[in-house]
Amino acid sequence: MLQEKPTPASKGSGLPLIWPLTNGFRALYAWAAGALFLTTLFQFLIPLIGSATIDFVLTSEKTEQSPLLTLIIDFLGGPETVRANLWIPAIAMAVFAALGGLFNYSQKLSAAKASDGICKRLKDQLYDHIQRLSNRYLDQAQTGDLVQRCTSDIETTRIFLAAHVVEIGRSIILVIAALPIMLSLHVGLTAVSMALIPFIVAYSYFYIKQVKHVFTEVDEAEGRLTAVVQENITGIRVVRAFNRHDFEIEKFSTPNREYRETSIRLIRLMSWFWSISDIACLVQIGAALFAGAYLALQGSISVGTLFAFLALLNLVLWPVRMIGRILTDLGKTTVALGRINEILTQPFETQADEVSITPDRPAVGRIAVRDVTFSHADTPTLQDISLEVEPGETLAILGPSGAGKTTLMHLLLRFYDCDSGRIELDGQDICSLDRAYLRAQFGVVLQEPFLFSRSIRHNIAFGASTASEADIERAARVACIHETIQNFSEGYETEIGERGITLSGGQRQRLAISRALLGEPPILLLDDALSAVDNETESAIIKALQDRRGKQTTIVIAHRLSTLSHADKIVVLEGGRITQHGTHQSLTKEEGLYQRLWNIQTQLEAALAEPEEANRL
Amino acid sequence: MIQEDEIKSKIDLDLWGRIFRYALSHKRLLIPLAASATVLAVIDTFFPIATKWAIDVIQGSGVIKDLIPVGVFYLSLSAGLAFCVFVFIHCAGGISHHIAHDIKRDCFKRLQELEFAFYDKQPTGWLISRLTADCDRLSRILAWGFLDVLWGCLYVLAMSVAMLLLNWKLALIVLATLPVLVALSLFFQRRMLFTSRQIRKHNARITASYGEGIAGVKTTKTLGREVENLGEFEGMSTDMYQASVRRAFLSAIYLPLVMLVGSLGSGLALWYGGVNLLQEAISLGTLVAFISYAGNLFQPINQIAMILAEIQGAQAAGERVMSLLATKPEIVDSPEVLEKIANHQALQSKQPIRRTLHSLAEAKQGQPNPLSPAPTLANDGHPNRIDEIQFKDVTFSYNQKETVLKNFNLRVKRGQTIALVGPSGGGKSTIVSLVSRFYEPTGGGVLIDGIDYRQRSLAWLQSQLGIVLQTPHLFNGTVLENIRYGRLDATPEEIREAANLVNAHDFVMNLEDGYDTVIGEGGARLSTGERQLISFARALLADPQIFIMDEATSSIDTETEKLIQDGMQRVFEGRISFVIAHRLSTIRSADQILVIKQGEIEEQGTHQELLARRGHYYELYTNQFRNEGVNRAMEAG
Repeated sequence: MLQEKPTPASKGSGLPLIWPLTNGFRALYAWAAGALFLTTLFQFLIPLIGSATIDFVLTSEKTEQSPLLTLIIDFLGGPETVRANLWIPAIAMAVFAALGGLFNYSQKLSAAKASDGICKRLKDQLYDHIQRLSNRYLDQAQTGDLVQRCTSDIETTRIFLAAHVVEIGRSIILVIAALPIMLSLHVGLTAVSMALIPFIVAYSYFYIKQVKHVFTEVDEAEGRLTAVVQENITGIRVVRAFNRHDFEIEKFSTPNREYRETSIRLIRLMSWFWSISDIACLVQIGAALFAGAYLALQGSISVGTLFAFLALLNLVLWPVRMIGRILTDLGKTTVALGRINEILTQPFETQADEVSITPDRPAVGRIAVRDVTFSHADTPTLQDISLEVEPGETLAILGPSGAGKTTLMHLLLRFYDCDSGRIELDGQDICSLDRAYLRAQFGVVLQEPFLFSRSIRHNIAFGASTASEADIERAARVACIHETIQNFSEGYETEIGERGITLSGGQRQRLAISRALLGEPPILLLDDALSAVDNETESAIIKALQDRRGKQTTIVIAHRLSTLSHADKIVVLEGGRITQHGTHQSLTKEEGLYQRLWNIQTQLEAALAEPEEANRL
Repeated sequence: MIQEDEIKSKIDLDLWGRIFRYALSHKRLLIPLAASATVLAVIDTFFPIATKWAIDVIQGSGVIKDLIPVGVFYLSLSAGLAFCVFVFIHCAGGISHHIAHDIKRDCFKRLQELEFAFYDKQPTGWLISRLTADCDRLSRILAWGFLDVLWGCLYVLAMSVAMLLLNWKLALIVLATLPVLVALSLFFQRRMLFTSRQIRKHNARITASYGEGIAGVKTTKTLGREVENLGEFEGMSTDMYQASVRRAFLSAIYLPLVMLVGSLGSGLALWYGGVNLLQEAISLGTLVAFISYAGNLFQPINQIAMILAEIQGAQAAGERVMSLLATKPEIVDSPEVLEKIANHQALQSKQPIRRTLHSLAEAKQGQPNPLSPAPTLANDGHPNRIDEIQFKDVTFSYNQKETVLKNFNLRVKRGQTIALVGPSGGGKSTIVSLVSRFYEPTGGGVLIDGIDYRQRSLAWLQSQLGIVLQTPHLFNGTVLENIRYGRLDATPEEIREAANLVNAHDFVMNLEDGYDTVIGEGGARLSTGERQLISFARALLADPQIFIMDEATSSIDTETEKLIQDGMQRVFEGRISFVIAHRLSTIRSADQILVIKQGEIEEQGTHQELLARRGHYYELYTNQFRNEGVNRAMEAG
């Protein structure tokens, strides 16, 4: 597993990783914070206008006036003017609301731009990085695990950046903005109004932390239910074949019921959580209301001040109480970020300081393998391999599975570098060549060809997006797939994969061959590329490939003699070593794997010539 | 697969009415939910009244003692509110999960009844998300939507009544903002929902792109396509970024706008109310209450608009689930057959004592033979024994257009084995599916001892089948449980015996926990060959009269093939067997070999006869012989 192998560079983990991520977006975040502060001020001013109007215009008691409210009433034109023109505070309220709204809009938009921008950049980085990781890393990593990191870990990070950071920022700014205003109105009342807030935050933090395991249980119960559904639907033919629907319905009912029970248990816990948290908030407002009313009765604050306190408290309290819940999610973000970072700190396949040559013309196609030894995960897979292929020649490699054929091919493509010995292309050590240049010289069909879920045309032209219609068709004809494609209702535009049609193994291989042929690379590598193709088609493809003999160096790995026998050179690879080499002529005369296979074939043909014999087969 | 649907512009009341019936069956929770929503709306309305009261006391009597009833009032409101919150979360959450449970149960049940033709049309992933995501979504909307709409409407109503009672002129001024709020909310909520969906869609594409990028990384490297791939990916992530910013833009405009309207309401209240106050027509407390109401109006409106948008968005999910529930299986017992089954059952129940005694006797023997003679009569009153299956002029097409099978005739007697060979898509699998009555012929008929099988019980016929498929699907569980799937009341001894007959016993005993080894999801911890042996034992355990092997030996190693081959000879004895195969050894020993090409019998005969004809079979055979020889030499090599 990946997480068991921390590399030196991935030591940093969790939240400190956030800071470098924000690089380039800090100005946006700063602006968002500033705009948020202004929004908050305007939002607070609106009730304060109400308070000032109440104190100076609508009531005439002589209580101690707060300087802030005096300032506001003076701003509006003084008590006398306002009394005569009550529309002034109304308009002022609307204007401040509009201004607050404007800043609010700007803040939300810039915060979204910043957090979504960071996410986008992170996603792009991750995608780019994965494509450039070394094969050694990719081999030991599990696809599912990598995809998981790219999707759900990114999503966790996105929620953190887009929602949590903003919410936490909002709560902090709300408190920072509200405190001085409240303090300027009345210190004692401020203390009473804020008294419960720390407890409310702490309560929600610890409560959610306590019940976190129930959330996990619900997730698990849901997972079990989905697993049963999945198993049932994928195996529905077995279910029907054995007439087992009642049994299956019974089997489904348990996890279905369990999911319901666990969810309801969580709901019960959450209904306690919300009602207690609500009552705590209401008690806080009630405390402010009654302390304020008491102070107002004593004449130490005005009714307007009381009104202002209640309004401010309402603005601050509800967002702040969510903080505790958000804090419990921080742990999740830390883990997710650490897992993403673990990938991002893996070295690239091509080191930045690597010096390489990029010849300005395509290779001629002369390949030389000299004393190559290679071991994979400490087990030697290739030992002392030497062979040469002249430009335009066809080399065939035969051998049982596990003999090292595919590994040899991977070495040619520099998916790995050999432990000792060297491989040359046109006399140049491939380790000194630019990887992209090297790979561009090969047309490759891998053992299990991977096709992308897009149209057939796109798949053939996947490596050469500028290929013309005619080129694509020509490549498809050589691979004997043109006719098949024409028979699909949408021809070359037919989508394959999840959203389109499913191709048979042979069709996939033929499509991959046409993809490799497109662009006429100097060297063709076919790794068991005809194994699922029927005999007739196979001979047609081989014939088409032979017509190109002399133009293209070809290396073929195969099991069937029919695929190999036409090659200029044949190599038999067994147990990581070359055990035989020669041509069809010489190898049929030499004792070994090739001869054994050949004998089976000739025996069959001889036997079939005699009907009596054939009956005994 | 993630399926997104457009937002329906109209709410289909009939559809939601049908879905709501699921909620109605949980009245025990629905009634308290409605009650708590109602009480909550009233309590929410009373909070500003409490403030008004307090201010009026300060302004009026000015006696601290008079504040005490206000305090009590406020505290009881708070307690009431907390209680309501508790009740509604409890009830709405409960209902939502009960509904989810019920809808899933019904969908699952229906899926078990539907025939193969239905599954041919629906991809697995699509069905799974119907049963999980769609059902969860519907149930959530049903419960929480009901609560929010009820609470929202009642809250607006209660606030209006309270304001009208306090001062009707001022109330009308504040309520003038209501239509603006409604229009704004409906406009924006729908658009926000739409962009949220687009974000999800882009996100799904990005996920798929990651999956493909990782799985196909070697191919990408060989084609040197890293830069273009990244370019395409960046296109997708940019789309998602833009959709996310658009979503933020909408909500960044919507909330300030709604708040602005709220402040306008408060401003109007302050202005008009202030004038009234100066004329001493209203009290300061009343004015403060009005300012609060004007600010609070947008909350319920916002909630209702959100729910309406969500209902519009979930309508397609509702339609899909409801249409799944409305799909009726096509292959079922006819009324006549059902009548026969009922008659037979009635007859059987008249002799209950005999049956009990019989099974008791069986139990006493301790080790009942798995191949013990079955009862002489099937559950439809016809003989249980099958002596002959006949295809009579059978024609079949999957979709009326392409005919897969044309005027097919075949007679198979008990004890015979029929091998079906030929190119894929030629109709081999169709023939065995027709025997199994997973499909019914579109023309002609399949006769069991002379009676068209549509006049026989479906459940009976299918309980006489033993089927081994190419990809042996096993369930997560132990080896024992998986074999037992063939006959649920089989004893461990019978299971061992079945495993032994098909040569599975030895490898099972070599597993860590023998028959109790847990094999993982889909049997992941076993090799394909081992899985096939288990599925073979499973099929045998059912002691079927008809045995079907559908490409059962095509994807397994030679070693296992030999074991299966060996088992087949024993197992096929005394049954009617159909074998689809391309391994020579499997085909050669059949009594009849049928070469099926384009829905017709191209050649028919025994191995010797067909070889002598030097036709299609000869060609297929020699090719296969060559390939197998090579593979064997390689494996040995």
